[in-house]
Amino acid sequence: MASITIQSVSKSFGAVSVLRDIDLSIADGEFVVLVGPSGCGKSTLLRMIAGLEDITGGEIRIDGRRVNEVAPKDRDIAMVFQSYALYPHMSVADNMSYSLRLRKTAKERIAEAVRAAAGKLGLDPLLERRPRALSGGQRQRVAMGRAIVRHPKAFLFDEPLSNLDARLREQMRAEIKRLHKAIGATSVYVTHDQIEAMTLADRIVAMHGGIIQQVGDPLDLYDRPANLFVAGFIGSPAMNFIDGACRGGAVEPHDGSRIPLPAGLKAAEGQAVTVGVRPEHVRIVGAAEPGSHTARVDLVEPTGFGTIVHVRLLGEDLKIYTLDRAAARVGGPLHIMLDGERLHVFDRETTQRLG
Amino acid sequence: MTLYNSVAPPAGDRRTAMQKIAAALEPWLYSAPVLILIVAIMLVPLALGVSYAFRDIRLLNPFSGGFVGLAHFRELAADSAFRGALVNTLWWTFSSVILQFLFGLILALLLNRPFRGRALAQALCFLPWAVPSFLSGLDWAWMFNPVVGPIPHWLTALGLMAEPSNILADPDVAMWGPIAANVWWGIPFFAITMLAALQAIPKDLYEAAEIDGAGPVERFRSITVPFLAPTMAISILLRTVWIANFADLIIVMTNGGPADRTQIVASYIFTQAFRRLDFGYASAIALVLLVLLLAYSMLIVALRQTMMSRQ
Repeated sequence: MASITIQSVSKSFGAVSVLRDIDLSIADGEFVVLVGPSGCGKSTLLRMIAGLEDITGGEIRIDGRRVNEVAPKDRDIAMVFQSYALYPHMSVADNMSYSLRLRKTAKERIAEAVRAAAGKLGLDPLLERRPRALSGGQRQRVAMGRAIVRHPKAFLFDEPLSNLDARLREQMRAEIKRLHKAIGATSVYVTHDQIEAMTLADRIVAMHGGIIQQVGDPLDLYDRPANLFVAGFIGSPAMNFIDGACRGGAVEPHDGSRIPLPAGLKAAEGQAVTVGVRPEHVRIVGAAEPGSHTARVDLVEPTGFGTIVHVRLLGEDLKIYTLDRAAARVGGPLHIMLDGERLHVFDRETTQRLG
Repeated sequence: MTLYNSVAPPAGDRRTAMQKIAAALEPWLYSAPVLILIVAIMLVPLALGVSYAFRDIRLLNPFSGGFVGLAHFRELAADSAFRGALVNTLWWTFSSVILQFLFGLILALLLNRPFRGRALAQALCFLPWAVPSFLSGLDWAWMFNPVVGPIPHWLTALGLMAEPSNILADPDVAMWGPIAANVWWGIPFFAITMLAALQAIPKDLYEAAEIDGAGPVERFRSITVPFLAPTMAISILLRTVWIANFADLIIVMTNGGPADRTQIVASYIFTQAFRRLDFGYASAIALVLLVLLLAYSMLIVALRQTMMSRQ
């Protein structure tokens, strides 16, 4: 087990720069999730920690040791791949013991380690099978088993659940979390799925365009997104954005209505801002009242537990998440209230959070 | 068709005899065009060729053509030239296949790693395959000729040869001439098939193995070889049969000489049929070669089956 330190690391492929000046410290035993849309550089960063990609600039340290020039096999890390990358011609037991056999570990110790890992993952009855005789979820477990038999300093996960169907993904997500609680190993987990990031992470690193956008507690990122990108990326359904200008303690969208600003927020008079409000924070009121907006219902998407209502407001498609199934009817009017305390305000130019 | 017939007509079938016959014939009529074609272009020539082996057919003898039973085979059993040709065939086939395979595999491994101008290099490496075999045989014969070719002079300079001479004229080493030409000509076949198989191996397997602690040799042994094995087996089988039957280079370069030292069974058949015009005897030899190659193929297929079932 170890800490991982990433210091002003950059990466470019030829003239294309994919990572710029990344700084990140991962504490011993921490579960860190790198999340972002495809092409944001999260997988490249993970592969650089693993040693599968060269480091163009900066330094990566594992357990205090600089590993820039260290071969993957000498970094003492284990990686779980999206495709599982199981050796198809080896049995489950051989897949799991391959790294130990290469390290010339004693036979009894290998058997013991495989037995222990198989027990943890419920793989005992499958040890003699070949990967092609396993289901997707079982293969995923074998890939994790292969990682844990070695007791590495750190686990790296590269979108390990992306090839599973939704139900299995949920189940494996919980299993990974439980496993991390049991083993307590330092883990770096790459995903584009913000729900996976929210549920698994001790700390989330949100990335976009090769730059870290925000690092923090999952709920921190949800409650206080640092910029427009994080605000739009974290949360499902995604946050609503309304453009406007600050005037007299309120934001005025271009139609002349007013949205009150959160108390204590300082914005220059006339500053161009984007107001963000999460669908679950839009309040539906029974009748028009001071400060409420009236919109026409465009689309209703029931999800079972709640309902997503799309309305047209200020020329934008505004989503509202409500637990009241009877609240909206397509084509009908809806009175909504945007509460100042629930609003996120961003400078439209810098895209950074205000206040 | 058995499926078709096994659907028993319901009890009390009231169809007429004519209708029953028509129903039974129907599938055969549908497949008739293809069956007739196969019989006409494959089975008829094969049967005709096999029948020649038991008849006395010499183009220069107008009274030949009679049935001679196993006479050709008795003659063959006592024919020392044929026995020599059998040994030469083994020699020719296995050294050509092994060298083609080794060089082809090395070439495929080189072409599988990215470098500048790889597409061009790939195209160039596959060029020999496009050269007609007769032309490449002539080229190589000239290259071995000390008057016009450089190879004897190079071999002399390297100290492998006392003075520049034509190895095709030396009974002890003449076989290496056609083998060299064959290897050059056949490498692309293995390179193409191996390269295709290499490119089908998922990249993350190598990465997983690298993290697991496998070095380059270990990765080759535990990932590349198991993945290539089925392709290797089938392409070696194909090539072996092909090369055993492949007499073009030998006919062009040495014509079986000197002193029959490069005569293989396939070129011996050619000599008997088209030089001595003894089609009956040539057919008998061809039949023996066919049986030997069939036996070899069965052996390899059986080997492959056991390999696959073991996995």
